[in-house]
Amino acid sequence: MIDVEHLSKVYGSTTAIQDVTFQAEPGEILGLLGPNGAGKTTTMRVLSGYLPASKGTARVAGYEVHENPMAVRQRIGYLPETPPLYPEMTVEDYLNFVARIKGVSAGDRATKIDSALTRCTLQEKRKVHIRKLSKGFRQRVGIAQAIVHDPPAIILDEPTVGLDPRQIIEVRNLIKNLAGQTTILLSTHILPEVSMTCDRVAIINKGRLVSAGTLDDLMLQLSGGMRYELEVEGDRPFIAEQLQRIIGLASVDWLGAEGLPQGRHKLRVSTDTNTEFGNQIAATLVKSQVGLHEMRRVGASLEDVFLQLTTEETALDVADAEPSAPPEQDGEPIEELEEVE
Amino acid sequence: MITVLANIDAIFRKELQGYFKSPLSYVIAGFFWILTALFLILVSQNIIDQVTQSDLGRQMGQGGAGPIDVPNIILQNFLSVMGSILLFILPVLSMNLYTEERRRGTLELLATSPITNWAVACGKLLAVLTFVIALIVPIGLLEFFLFSRAKPAMPLQGFLVGHLGLVLLAAAVLSLGMFISSLNDSAIVAAFLTFVLVLLLWIFDFLGQAVSGPLGEVLKHLSLLKHYTSLSQGVLDSPSVVVFASYVVLGLFLTAQSIDLIRFQQS
Repeated sequence: MIDVEHLSKVYGSTTAIQDVTFQAEPGEILGLLGPNGAGKTTTMRVLSGYLPASKGTARVAGYEVHENPMAVRQRIGYLPETPPLYPEMTVEDYLNFVARIKGVSAGDRATKIDSALTRCTLQEKRKVHIRKLSKGFRQRVGIAQAIVHDPPAIILDEPTVGLDPRQIIEVRNLIKNLAGQTTILLSTHILPEVSMTCDRVAIINKGRLVSAGTLDDLMLQLSGGMRYELEVEGDRPFIAEQLQRIIGLASVDWLGAEGLPQGRHKLRVSTDTNTEFGNQIAATLVKSQVGLHEMRRVGASLEDVFLQLTTEETALDVADAEPSAPPEQDGEPIEELEEVE
Repeated sequence: MITVLANIDAIFRKELQGYFKSPLSYVIAGFFWILTALFLILVSQNIIDQVTQSDLGRQMGQGGAGPIDVPNIILQNFLSVMGSILLFILPVLSMNLYTEERRRGTLELLATSPITNWAVACGKLLAVLTFVIALIVPIGLLEFFLFSRAKPAMPLQGFLVGHLGLVLLAAAVLSLGMFISSLNDSAIVAAFLTFVLVLLLWIFDFLGQAVSGPLGEVLKHLSLLKHYTSLSQGVLDSPSVVVFASYVVLGLFLTAQSIDLIRFQQS
C-alpha cells in the first residue's frame, strides 16, 4: 500500500534521508521509529506529496507521489506534527471544509463526516469551536481530518506528542481501531508506542533505514542470544574468570552494587546463541563456591535495541559503507554490532 | 474543471466564513463606512457651495462657467476619495490571507490536499474581494439615494463604471498583497510591505507625469491610479481593464509560485 524505494532527500548540503526503503502492507500499522531529527518527518512529507524527493520513488496505493501527486493526495490522509486546524471553525465546519477540498462529493459528505466523528468519538464536540477544545481533542480532530475522505492510507506524524498520559492512551486506541480498514504509517520517537500500537516497525537514524520488520523479528534479530542477570557474592575478578570458562558465553558486564549488601554485585551475562546456559552458569558458580542470590533470564527490550541501533556509531558506519545494500540484508550491520559489543 | 471550481468554492466559503467571525472585519467595515459616508457629505457640500458661488457670480453679471453637471463632478471627486481610503484599508485586508495559514500550519493541509495552489489563491482572492464589494455596496446605495432627485440626473453608466473601477483597483492591490502575505509569517510585515507597494504604485503616477519620454509612458501605464481615474470618469476603456486584470493575474501567479517555493525551502 505504501511503498518507499531508495528514497533520498537533500536540502542544500544536508542530507535529510538517504536510500530509505520500506513497505507497509494493506491494513497494517507501520511504525517509523527514530530519534528527533532522524528524518521521519521528511519521509512523511515526501510521502504526503508536500516535499519533492531528491532520488528514489514513493508509491501510495500504486501511484507515484511525484508523477501523480493529485491521485496520491486523494488517497492519503495526513496529520502533520502540529494538527492543521482553524481555531475559529467548529469541528463540523472544519471537517466539512476538509471533505470539500479532499474531493468528497456533496452527497457523501454528511455520512463521511458523521463516520469520522464517530470513529474519533467527537460527536459531542461537533458544534464546538476548535479553539475551545483541549489538546487531546484537537489531536482527535486532526485524526478525523485525516480520515474524513476514507483514504486507503493515512500518515500520522508523532500523533501522541504533547498529550497527557490519558489522552495518549485514547489516541493510541483510536489509531488501533482504524487499522484493518486503513494502512497506517505513524512516526514516533517513543519506544513503548511502537510496541503498543504497531504491527511492524521501520527504524531510521540520521536519515538511514537501520532495520525493518515485525517487533518479534527485530528483537530476535537484534538480541541474537540470551541474557541473564545475576546477583552474586564474592571476588569480582574470580567470578568473571569462572564464568568466562563456560564455552559460548559472549560477555560479562558488571551492573554495579548499588543498594546491595556488602560484597554483592549485579552482573549481566550475554550469549551469542539461543542455547540455554542457565544450568551451566548456576553449576559453575556453585562449584566455585560463589554465593548466588538471584538469577533471571532477560529478553532484549526494544529500548535496549533502540539504544543499540541509534547510539552505536560502528553499526551505522557499516551501513554507510554499503549504501546500496537491499533491505533484506539489514541483518548484516546488526551482526557487526554485536561483535563490537 | 468542475473539481477546480468546487475547490475554489470550498476555499471561498471557508474564507468568507472567516470574515464573518473575525472582529477585525467588523472594525474595518465600521471604519470604512463612517469615513466614506462623512466624505460623501463633505465632498457634496463643498462642490455645492462652489457651484452656488459660481451661480451667484453669474447672476451678478460677472460671467463664469456655463451650466455645471453637479452630480457627475460630485461622483468623480467622491470616487477618488473613496479610492484613496480603500488603498489604506486593502493592505490590512490582504495581510492575513496567507500569513495566518503559515503560522497555523494549515498550509500543509492545503498543500497535501488534492487542490492546486491556483485554486487556493483564486478562492482567497474572490472571498476578500467579495468582502470589499460588501463594503462598497451600501455606500453605492447611499450615493444612489443622494443623486436620485438630482438634476441633471446622475449618469448611470458613469456610476457603474466608476464603481467597477473601484472593485478592479481593489482586486489588483489585493492580489499583489496576497502574494506579499505568502512570503512571510508576520501579518504586520505583510501589511506594511503591501502599503509600501501601494505607495510605490502611487508614486509611479507622479513620476510618470514628471518624466517625459518612453520611461514616463511606461510608468504611467503601470500606475494604478491613472487607470482608476480614467474609469472613475465613466470611461470604460479596455486598456485600463486589461492593466488591472494583468495585476490580478500577476498576483495570483506569484502567489502560486511562492507557495510552491515554501515547500522546497522547508527543512
